[in-house]
Amino acid sequence: MNRKHFLKNVLGTAAAVTAGTTAMAMPDPPVVRSLAQPPYLQPGDIIGITCPASPLEMKDMLNCSSALKKWGYEVCVGNTVGQVWERFGGSDAERAADVQLMLDDPSIKAILFARGGYGAMRMMDRVDWTSLRKNPKWLVGYSDITAIHCHVHAQFGLPTIHGDMVNGFKAIEDISTFSLKQVISGKRFEYRSPAFGLNRKGQTTGMLVGGNLSLVAAMLGSKSSLDTDGKILFLEEVSEYKYTLDRMMMSLKRSGKLDKLAGLIIGGITATKSDAETPFAMSVEEIIFEKVADKNFPVCFNFPAGHIRNNMALKLGIYYTFRVTETGGSLTEVSSTLPLIPLPDIDSLLVPPEILP
Amino acid sequence: MAKAIITPPYLRKGATVGIVCPAGYMPAAKTLTCQQTLQSWGFQVRLGKTVGHQHYYFSGTDAERLQDLQQMIDDPTVDAILCGRGGYGTSRIIDQLNWKKFRQHPKWIIGFSDITVLHSFLIAKLRTASLHAPMANAFNDGGAQDEYVQSLRKALTGKNANYTCAVHACNKQGKASGQLIGGNLSLMAHQIGTPSDVDTKGKILFLEDVGEYLYNVDRMLLQLDRAGKLKSLAGLIIGGFTDNKDTTTPFGNTIDEIIAHRIAAYNYPVCFGFPVSHEKENVALKVGATFALQVGKQKVTLKEL
Repeated sequence: MNRKHFLKNVLGTAAAVTAGTTAMAMPDPPVVRSLAQPPYLQPGDIIGITCPASPLEMKDMLNCSSALKKWGYEVCVGNTVGQVWERFGGSDAERAADVQLMLDDPSIKAILFARGGYGAMRMMDRVDWTSLRKNPKWLVGYSDITAIHCHVHAQFGLPTIHGDMVNGFKAIEDISTFSLKQVISGKRFEYRSPAFGLNRKGQTTGMLVGGNLSLVAAMLGSKSSLDTDGKILFLEEVSEYKYTLDRMMMSLKRSGKLDKLAGLIIGGITATKSDAETPFAMSVEEIIFEKVADKNFPVCFNFPAGHIRNNMALKLGIYYTFRVTETGGSLTEVSSTLPLIPLPDIDSLLVPPEILP
Repeated sequence: MAKAIITPPYLRKGATVGIVCPAGYMPAAKTLTCQQTLQSWGFQVRLGKTVGHQHYYFSGTDAERLQDLQQMIDDPTVDAILCGRGGYGTSRIIDQLNWKKFRQHPKWIIGFSDITVLHSFLIAKLRTASLHAPMANAFNDGGAQDEYVQSLRKALTGKNANYTCAVHACNKQGKASGQLIGGNLSLMAHQIGTPSDVDTKGKILFLEDVGEYLYNVDRMLLQLDRAGKLKSLAGLIIGGFTDNKDTTTPFGNTIDEIIAHRIAAYNYPVCFGFPVSHEKENVALKVGATFALQVGKQKVTLKEL
C-alpha cells in the first residue's frame, strides 16, 4: 500500500471513531498511541551483538552468549566485538557499518549493544536508521546508548529497550537480565520503587522516554533532542559531580524539557563524585527535585534502573502508567494483550549457569 | 545582517568597578590585590555582599547572589562589574535577572569560565558586548603586572586589542573577520537550546576549558557540532584546555587532535594555543566586538576592528 492511501485510510478510521464517540456523548478515553512496535522475540530468533561505543573483549561475550542461547536464541557477533580502535570498538565508520549490517539484515530480530562507555554519538549520524522501518527490531542498551535511543525516537518515532547490555551479564542470571529476557519476549512487569521523602504523589499515563542524563543533555539543540511534552521522563546517571548534575538539570530546565512532563522517574544516580572543594548545597535528590518543584506531575526517586544491580528493562517510546503513592512508585506498561508477570526478589538466584562441555 | 552591538561606555579615571561573586565562593582576602590594583588604575571599588560570603559551594544562596548582581546592574553609579570568580552557579540565576536598567545604562561585565553564561546571555538577549577577561584571583601572586591583567585595563579604558600568538601544527591558515563569541566549552554546550544559546553563524568562536575528561571534551564538541554551532563559523580560536583528565582506558588522542578531528570537514581558519585559558595566559576579549583573525605561516593575529 502506498503511503498516501495508507494515511487516508487511517484518517478515515479515526474520523469515524471520533464521530461515534461524540454521538454517544462519552468522555474521551485516554489516548494511548504507542509507537509501532517491533515483534517480540521467538525461540530460534537471531540477536545481533555490536559495539557502537567503547570496545568489548571477546572473552567478555561468554556469559551473555551462553545466556542468550539458553534463552533459545541464536547469536550473531558483529565485526566490532573484540576489536579496539583508540578507545572505541572500531573507527566511527567501522562501528556504523557494523550496526548498519545488523539493521539491514531481516534475519536479525534484535540488536543487543555490547556496552556503553563513549562513542555512540560519534557514529550514529553515519547510520541509516530508516532501515528499522523496513526491518523493525528491538535495540537494547543504556548509558551511552541513550544517544541512540534519543536519536531513533526523535527522528524515526520507533521504540527501543533501555536495559542491560552484554557487559552486564553475569555467570548467574540476575534480576536485570531476567527482566530483559521477559521484556524482549513480550512479557511485562509492574516495577516498583520505595517510598521516599521527595517523591511527589500522582498518577499519569504517558510515553516513557529518557535514559542517561548526560546523554539526554548532550542531545539538546540537535535533531536527536527528545520532545518531552506530555511524556514520562526517566533519568539515571553515574560518576558525575553534584555541580555537573545540577548544571545538566539546569540545561534541561532552561531548554523547557521539564515544563510539560507527565511524570519524572529518577533511577540510580550512583558513584556521584565527592565535591572537589566545599560541599555542594544539596543532596542529589534535592538537586533534581528543585528543578521541578513548581510543577505538579508525579516524581519518584530510586527507581530500579540505571548503573545499579537492579537495572530493569524499560521500553522507551511506549506508554506506561506511572503511579506514586505513600508506599512508593510503580510503573506498568499499558497493554491489553501482554501478560503481566510477577517480578522475583532481587536476591533470588534465578537460573544456575549452564555447564558447557 | 546582524543588528548593531551595544558597546558599554569605557571607563575613565574615577569610575566605579563593582565586584560580585555570582557563582562559587571566594574568600574576601583573595580579592584584596585586585581591589588595590583597580584603585591604582584610578578606579573606585564597590564590594558586593557575595564577596567573601558563603553558602556551601556557592557565594550565597541563589536569592543572595541574584540580589547582589541585580543591585550592581541597577546602580547607576557602578560603571563596570568584575566577577570575583567563576566555579558554577551563574545559570541558576541568569533567567531571574531584570535587565531594564541595564538597557538604559549598559556597563561592562567582566569574567570568564562560569561567567560565559553572562557573556552569552548578553549577546543573545541584549546584543551587548562584555569582557571575557581575568578575574580577581588572576591579580594575585604578581599577576596584576602581567600582560594579561594589563590587557583587561587596556580593554576597559577603550584601547583596541591586537593580539599575536605563535603558530601551531594543527592550525588552519586563513583570514576571517566577524563578531567574537565564546568562552568556556562546558558552558557553551550547557547553554545549547536555552534562552542564552548564541547564534554562531558567521562569527569567530573562541573556546577554552579546564579539568575535563578528554572524552567529555569530544562529546561537548560533538554536541556543538550536532547543534549546528561549528559548521558555519567564520573562524575558530582554541585557547588552553588545561588539567585534562583521562579515563582508565586512555582516549588515545591529544586534546589538539580531538579538536582538529571534530572540525576537519570545515574550511575556516583555526588557531590553537591562543592565550585564553584558566592559566595566567588569558587576554581580555570583547565578546560581541568585531575582530579580524589572521592565521598565517609565521604568526597568528587577532585584531579588534
